[in-house]
Amino acid sequence: MADDVLRTSALTKRFGDLTAVDHLDLNVRRGEVVGLLGPNGAGKSTTIGMVLGLVAPTAGSAQVLGHDVATHRERALTGVGAMLEVTSFYPYLSGRDNLVAVALLRGDGALARVDPVLTRLGLAARGGSKFRTYSLGMRQRLGIASTLLGDPALVILDEPGNGLDPAGQREIRALIRELAEEQRGVLLASHLLHEVEQVCDRVIVIKKGKLIASGTIAEVAHRGSYYEIVVSDAGRASSALRALPGVTEIRATPTALEVVADAGRGAELNRALAAAGIYASAIVPRTSSLEDVFLELTESGSDATAAS
Amino acid sequence: MPWVILLMIVAFAFVFYVLVYASVTAQIQAIKSGTIPAPAGGAAQFDEALRMLRPDRVQSFGSGLVNGLGSIMLIVFAASHVGTEFGWGTLRTLLAHGAGRGAFLASKAVSLALFALMFVIAGSVASVAASFAVSGIAGYDLSGLDVGAVANAAGRGVYTFLPFMALATVIALWSRSAGAGIAAGLVVYFAEGLVAGILVSLNRDFATIVNYGLSRNVASVTRQTVVNTGGDATNAASTLPDPGQAALVLAIYAVVFVAIAYWRLRTRDITLS
Repeated sequence: MADDVLRTSALTKRFGDLTAVDHLDLNVRRGEVVGLLGPNGAGKSTTIGMVLGLVAPTAGSAQVLGHDVATHRERALTGVGAMLEVTSFYPYLSGRDNLVAVALLRGDGALARVDPVLTRLGLAARGGSKFRTYSLGMRQRLGIASTLLGDPALVILDEPGNGLDPAGQREIRALIRELAEEQRGVLLASHLLHEVEQVCDRVIVIKKGKLIASGTIAEVAHRGSYYEIVVSDAGRASSALRALPGVTEIRATPTALEVVADAGRGAELNRALAAAGIYASAIVPRTSSLEDVFLELTESGSDATAAS
Repeated sequence: MPWVILLMIVAFAFVFYVLVYASVTAQIQAIKSGTIPAPAGGAAQFDEALRMLRPDRVQSFGSGLVNGLGSIMLIVFAASHVGTEFGWGTLRTLLAHGAGRGAFLASKAVSLALFALMFVIAGSVASVAASFAVSGIAGYDLSGLDVGAVANAAGRGVYTFLPFMALATVIALWSRSAGAGIAAGLVVYFAEGLVAGILVSLNRDFATIVNYGLSRNVASVTRQTVVNTGGDATNAASTLPDPGQAALVLAIYAVVFVAIAYWRLRTRDITLS
């Protein structure tokens, strides 16, 4: 797609017998924030490593702005600003000098952006301090600042909220949305699901290197949404509802039926029950948070399908 | 670290000159006062030792000192220069921001070579200064400094540092550890020279084999310095390889080590673990 700033196709990485990333297809478009979610060891950092050319794919490809990372790495990375999971800079240089070092790699006006990005990330006052004196939160900010030096079309942020206090996390969330508004694509790997929920337009959930769900936050969160229906005859009610299109699952609990169906279909469920001569004493829509769905997806044995 | 190493070689140069002067003059005084017996060769060997401290002998004593310490200190520096990029995680940062792996290694190689040059210049200048200082205090003749000979010895020193630095670099890069690079470099520097020396002393025919190692080729390239510092240099020199061949062998070692480092860096996944 023309708007894609990042696209991977069947991206695969094996370390010996371990398949860290398994035929992963993902894309990030201009102006959107895509969350890359998965439990520890799911393959997020390996995926980012392959996108940045740090890790050689075993199979498949990653393209940034149409340039294959494996064959045209330096051209591809011209359009990428990346902050890795562990923010690493020269400890004996100041924060500002570290950005200057990165800017020298970036060229094309990056040096002129050093002071503005320090200011934007709230580091102007401490820009002259040695990196080794920085707190974890300041290191994260410097890492994020470094991503903006090259005026990138794609920003990759791996756990940017690590070590930030709540106010700092809020600032970073606002910054991420600003980046999207500036028509940059943002790939955000994070364990902070509420952060993802607030800033991401889409999420991609991976487990053991495989994509197990993707879609908008609503689409993915909807996977865990259901209607709680209280009826006197659960067996007959199940039979009546199972025939309805859009009903994907019915679970019986001691007190109610849990009917997994698209949002906004409560009336339709009620109508179907009434048509079968069953009158529900309660139909309550239950929605799940992204966290609920994430845990369900990643803790179950399911290698589930994508939502979109 | 670079400044510390430069300061160290400057300090070592002065300290060695002063120590040798103080030690030799103290022994001469002790002999004169009868505190210790005169050696078999008489006081002449002490005079020769003191003559080594004069400015006209900097290319042998001072340069020998700088070259001897230089190999060790620059092995440590080279391994640290590359290994810390892994330890600090800065290699990942640089590559993630678009740096090329070949460019990274080339920048390391160039900066190491330049630092080796700075090292011998600092060490040589400090040796000259120390020689003038000690000679001035002792009332020796201050003339006869051969700048060309000192520069020649310094150049030979830099040349012989390169394969050891390349070795330390490739081990540090392979193991992602400065410590491993330092250890391997120092082990090769000391053990290979020791083994080569023992083998040749047992049977001179072994020279045809050990002359393809590093230590004897280094000795051949720096032979001018070695011979002038005395010892068993003349005997050892008779089995050393031809200086031209030695220079070629050292160049091949350096190039091979750099090529291995390049290949390893090109093919390695740069991960956190």
